[in-house]
Amino acid sequence: MKKILINMAVMAVAIAPIAADAHHSFAMFDRNKVVSLKGVVRDFQWTNPHSWIQLVVKDDSGATTEWSLEALSPNVLGRMGWKRNSIKAGDTITAYFNPTRDGSHGGNMVRVMLSDGKVIGGGQ
Amino acid sequence: MSFVKQIIGASLLVLSTAAMAETAAEAAKKPVTPPKPARLADGHPNWTGFWVPVDGLLQHDIGLGGSPQMPAGSPPPPPPPFSHSAPLKSPYREQYAAFLAKMAAGAVADPVARCFPPGMPRMMAMVYGMELLQTPGQIAITSEWQAASRRVWLDRTTHPAATDLDPSYAGDSIGHWEGNTLIVDTVGIRDDVPVNYIGLPHSPKLHIVEHFMQISPGILVDDVTIDDPDVFEKPWTERQTFRYRPDLRIQEYVCLENNRNVGANGEAVFTDTAPTK
Repeated sequence: MKKILINMAVMAVAIAPIAADAHHSFAMFDRNKVVSLKGVVRDFQWTNPHSWIQLVVKDDSGATTEWSLEALSPNVLGRMGWKRNSIKAGDTITAYFNPTRDGSHGGNMVRVMLSDGKVIGGGQ
Repeated sequence: MSFVKQIIGASLLVLSTAAMAETAAEAAKKPVTPPKPARLADGHPNWTGFWVPVDGLLQHDIGLGGSPQMPAGSPPPPPPPFSHSAPLKSPYREQYAAFLAKMAAGAVADPVARCFPPGMPRMMAMVYGMELLQTPGQIAITSEWQAASRRVWLDRTTHPAATDLDPSYAGDSIGHWEGNTLIVDTVGIRDDVPVNYIGLPHSPKLHIVEHFMQISPGILVDDVTIDDPDVFEKPWTERQTFRYRPDLRIQEYVCLENNRNVGANGEAVFTDTAPTK
């Protein structure tokens, strides 16, 4: 399953035609990279101007770090088929995202795999 | 497993999770249809409904963050809407160069990142959609972006005198029909409303003329001509293209709800400090 998803990330490499005006630029994210992290959701903020997943990730030593993962607004995610309870606190998920350029613990969401293997998000 | 099989497997995985309802991006692949009836009782074209920019987020399916993936070596992203101006005149040219340097250093904000209204002309180029409502004497245009709203007055032919016109984000717009083309003339835009998201300036003389036309059934264009003789060496025109989307209705979008992208200078940033519940 993991291998398939990694290949999906490669398939996602395409120049999308988005050329309209938005809340902020994506310059803060490294869009050359898609990284993944598995963790437990502390909070899913279904909010404007962006939704956020707060993901608590445990390392090999057992120490935890919270990551802030930025996603689109509910008016777009909802029209992709998401709901405000698509992800809930306590869910174990694998998040695929463009990391921040400054190394802060966060990124721009690309897709999410739920604990049952379902992938939610756009088709890319 | 061959690469082809992996692709098929990945595609099925996506399909299985999206089986319940048609998404906006899937609906966007259907044939374009125009609003019905084609004309209002007064004989003018009927454009009432929800329209989305063909280059916007609701026409495409690019992932949860709305950020297209950019492999190394990709061409640079297209310039922001309303940035194809003729050269600036002095002193705006020098002031704008200084502004861009400050913006690159994260020292100044785009007002939209701080949730101020985009104003004119930017509100015609936001990533979501816009709702057009036609009623005798006026046309209301509401961008889904922050519910930014403007009125095109059809029941007067002149703007208020400059002394009576308080500058506003959307400005004062008057319109009239020439055949099937709606022509809209806008003045009175606040000085602190940038022309685009990288701070392109304007003076109190900013004058915007738009030609709205349905160039094919369900495809509406807005040819936006921007003139400011104090700032730009000559006017320029940029086309915004919209598709009618009867499957969508305008939704609420309140930018101030949870704006975590504002730095100490008001600049757009990413912060990994999350509110704790």
